[in-house]
Amino acid sequence: MNTTAIGTSEFNRVASFIWQELKPRGKWLTPFNVISIPIILLGIGILYFRFVYGIGFVTNLNQYYPLGIWIGFDVVTGVALAGGAYVITFVVYVMRMEKYHSIVRVTVLNGLLAYIFYAGALTLDLGRPWHIVNPIIGNSFGYNSVLFLVSWHFLLYMLTMALEFSPVVAEWAQLEKARKFLSGLTLGAVIFGITLSILHQSGLGALFLMAKPKIHPLWYSEFIPVMFVVSSIYAGLSMIIFEGTISHKVFRDLLAGQDHHRYEEIILGLGKGAAITMFVYYFFQALLFIHEERWELITDAWGYWYLLEVIGLVLIPCFMYAYAVRNRNLGILKVAAVLALLGIILNRLNVTVIAYRWYDVDKYYPSWQEIVVTLTVVFTEIWIFRWIVTRMPVFGKRR
Amino acid sequence: MEYYTYVNIFETKGLEYLLLMCFFALFIYLVRYLSGPGKKDSAPRDGSAAGGRMKGAGH
Repeated sequence: MNTTAIGTSEFNRVASFIWQELKPRGKWLTPFNVISIPIILLGIGILYFRFVYGIGFVTNLNQYYPLGIWIGFDVVTGVALAGGAYVITFVVYVMRMEKYHSIVRVTVLNGLLAYIFYAGALTLDLGRPWHIVNPIIGNSFGYNSVLFLVSWHFLLYMLTMALEFSPVVAEWAQLEKARKFLSGLTLGAVIFGITLSILHQSGLGALFLMAKPKIHPLWYSEFIPVMFVVSSIYAGLSMIIFEGTISHKVFRDLLAGQDHHRYEEIILGLGKGAAITMFVYYFFQALLFIHEERWELITDAWGYWYLLEVIGLVLIPCFMYAYAVRNRNLGILKVAAVLALLGIILNRLNVTVIAYRWYDVDKYYPSWQEIVVTLTVVFTEIWIFRWIVTRMPVFGKRR
Repeated sequence: MEYYTYVNIFETKGLEYLLLMCFFALFIYLVRYLSGPGKKDSAPRDGSAAGGRMKGAGH
């Protein structure tokens, strides 16, 4: 058999395998499917009108409120929650803490999908989405804008995470040589990815530096970029705990037996990291509070809202994490993770939407179409995540 | 509301140093608290898991 024939035969085998894998598996009538399918279909319909009639047709955005929940939640919050990928790859491949190796694949997959969907949602928000390639192809680099840095970093980081995840795809497609080659690139990809990730987490914060007069002074500071990076660390760790808890219940049959007993140790370790990071973040906030003399700003409703975020959803979950780790209480640990995630969501929405033009009488509120499209993005990501983990060796087994 | 406020960076320095000293003192305490023996010998408690013990997951 000559080389061409062998190549064709191998291609046919892989194509046939992928075709088999594309067929649906498992029950269709599940609560998640019943809720998500109508919302996704409605979201696709809304997106049709958005692209045909323009962004103003389905959103409440205008010249005064250019950033709605598609940016505030999907992009800015979504990227913070995806921070777990760079934290865990750093811990495993650079710090050599092998204890966390078993969660690398699922964490990188989560990060990759989060960037594809949440950063991809940026295209929905652009008036002329086809211009998104301009900073890359040089039609207009715009390198005096923070967005130049963010767009390049997003693109490169997505490619890096795809490279980090590629050995799993090669293993799934039974391409042993490709798997070995791709595995050899992992460490370099990880180091490159960590650098990119830290820079664009801060880059997203730097976008708001030019909006000083528009953001409430309790949320604005010159250190927004630093605060975004630090908070993305505990956001990522909390997201891994939250996602791991759900995966533990939903994909129980896929989990490799030897990992079951290590799970407690892993999430307790993550909780420890989250507690320390939140403690540092809280003191950064306190330092900014004193430095910028914000005392008189906390006596009104905005001040109470700020205290809810910083004390209720940062300091209290920090103590809860510490208590849970010390006493090995997984129940409290999971509640702390949820509170920390709520804190991150609230912080990012405060900066981008809620405390943005806080002095206006006519505030921006998202339209129902914006909320449906946001849910569509989230549910579609979960569908793809489910499809991948039930077929590829992400957890150790396949269905 | 297009205005800027200028902050005197020396005005709050005393309080900032005090805060930093508190931070370092408390940070050492936190790390020691987290690294302490705790209840290492006991099984992790989880109210949501049947039987009070996580059935385990992992990835």
